[in-house]
Amino acid sequence: MGFAMGRVFRTYSEAVASALARNTRWIAALALAFAVCSAEVWADPPSAAPRASAKPPIVFAAASLQPALDEVAAAWKDSTGKQAIISYGSSAILAKQIEQGAPADIFISADLKWMDYLDKAKLLAPGTRKNRFANKLVLIEPATFATALEIARGFDLAGAAAGGKIAVCAIESCPAGIYAKEALESLGVLASVKANLVQTENVRGALALVSRGEARFGIVYATDAKSDPRVRSVGTFPESSHSPILYPVALLASSSNEDAGFFLAFLTSQAATRIFLDHGFEILPK
Amino acid sequence: MADLTPAEWMAIWLSLKVAIVATVASLPFGIFTAYALARWRFPGKILLNGAVHLPLVLPPVITGFALLLLFGRKGTFGPFLDRLGLVFAFRWTGAALASAIMGFPLMVRAMQLSFESIDRRLEQAAATLGANPVWTFFAVSLPLALPGILSGTILAFTKALGEFGATITFVSNIPGETQTIALAIYAYTQTPSGDAYALRLTAISAALSFAALIASEILQRRARKQLAG
Repeated sequence: MGFAMGRVFRTYSEAVASALARNTRWIAALALAFAVCSAEVWADPPSAAPRASAKPPIVFAAASLQPALDEVAAAWKDSTGKQAIISYGSSAILAKQIEQGAPADIFISADLKWMDYLDKAKLLAPGTRKNRFANKLVLIEPATFATALEIARGFDLAGAAAGGKIAVCAIESCPAGIYAKEALESLGVLASVKANLVQTENVRGALALVSRGEARFGIVYATDAKSDPRVRSVGTFPESSHSPILYPVALLASSSNEDAGFFLAFLTSQAATRIFLDHGFEILPK
Repeated sequence: MADLTPAEWMAIWLSLKVAIVATVASLPFGIFTAYALARWRFPGKILLNGAVHLPLVLPPVITGFALLLLFGRKGTFGPFLDRLGLVFAFRWTGAALASAIMGFPLMVRAMQLSFESIDRRLEQAAATLGANPVWTFFAVSLPLALPGILSGTILAFTKALGEFGATITFVSNIPGETQTIALAIYAYTQTPSGDAYALRLTAISAALSFAALIASEILQRRARKQLAG
């Protein structure tokens, strides 16, 4: 049997060798093409890890933070040379992933509920949870429209939509969706527009729908409206119509990354504060 | 081409890494399963056939969810594999596992058809000449089935390149670790100004898959020619 397998091996190696010999030009061409394409990559390799040997901290952040937090991470990289990896999503989905064991070091939620969820599961590093930012809820429409609608009790959103869709984040789980549902309910118009609601996975998805003109209206954060020139804000929902929009930040108990603490501290630095304010966030006192 | 952002390069490189690992790792299983389904009769063959094709017909999210339940950090096998040093949850290895499972039915189908089309008399001739089944498999069946094996491998590779539903459900969307091309495109579609990036990655993804399919076609033709000649 061993002798037979040896013969099989020799037959195969002969076949491979002759195939290579017959196709040297093809192989050379492929190798050249590969070298050219990868020269780009090897010259500046895509690195999730910085030059230093330490692993970059992983931040799970609410989707609405995307433009601002990306800038803050870039500023951090400029000043320390270290890179932070940020995974954006609906706070609901991120919290569930962290509970499932996702390797996050820092969690920034768009509401208290999902931070409480992890708190109860004892997944937060004790003493690191702080409310850092606040936001407002606005009604938006594509910038090509110019609807004048005052957002007050019983306002005629259904009439203004006239059969068009109102994009919101998932109203049962996503923080922006929960705030939107609260606001519509307390203003007494939820029942009239429920059939028009289009629910997306996260608030930036709702923003994108309005931005592309696919939805007639959308309910997103003030910071989202500010970040996209293709939407305009129709009005701000009264703060009394929904729970306060607060962004808690916390270090996760499972984190063993020293740089995570530095990034956390950087979030409250002057440079970062400037960036968050520029994007429309309110900074809560320390 | 040169002005791709680091995030896009990362997604492309990660996609290639995940797809290659997924294809290479599932190759022996695929060949063995295809041969078993083509040649053998055994109790439960229908069940095996059904199980192999399940990822093809189930919604990918369900496959991803099942993987989460089995291999997640708190899943059935997760903690055990964790102690062995094999972590799938929220790692590129998990993305590779999801891609491998989603591509497995395509791999097996192509290879099975190939094995079934081999003239059994050639294998029987080898047996009458004194060869044992293992030798016959490696020296007769495998080389004759080469076109189908190549086709199945490349099909599985292209499927792995484009896998989305199972990947995002199982290992989520972490840049640099699990954010393959498809997941990166999804993230860009959620960003209002990300359409240009999404389109660019779409074009690259299509080009990669197209190149792989063309390579498959060429390799198959050469293999068939060599078999015939």
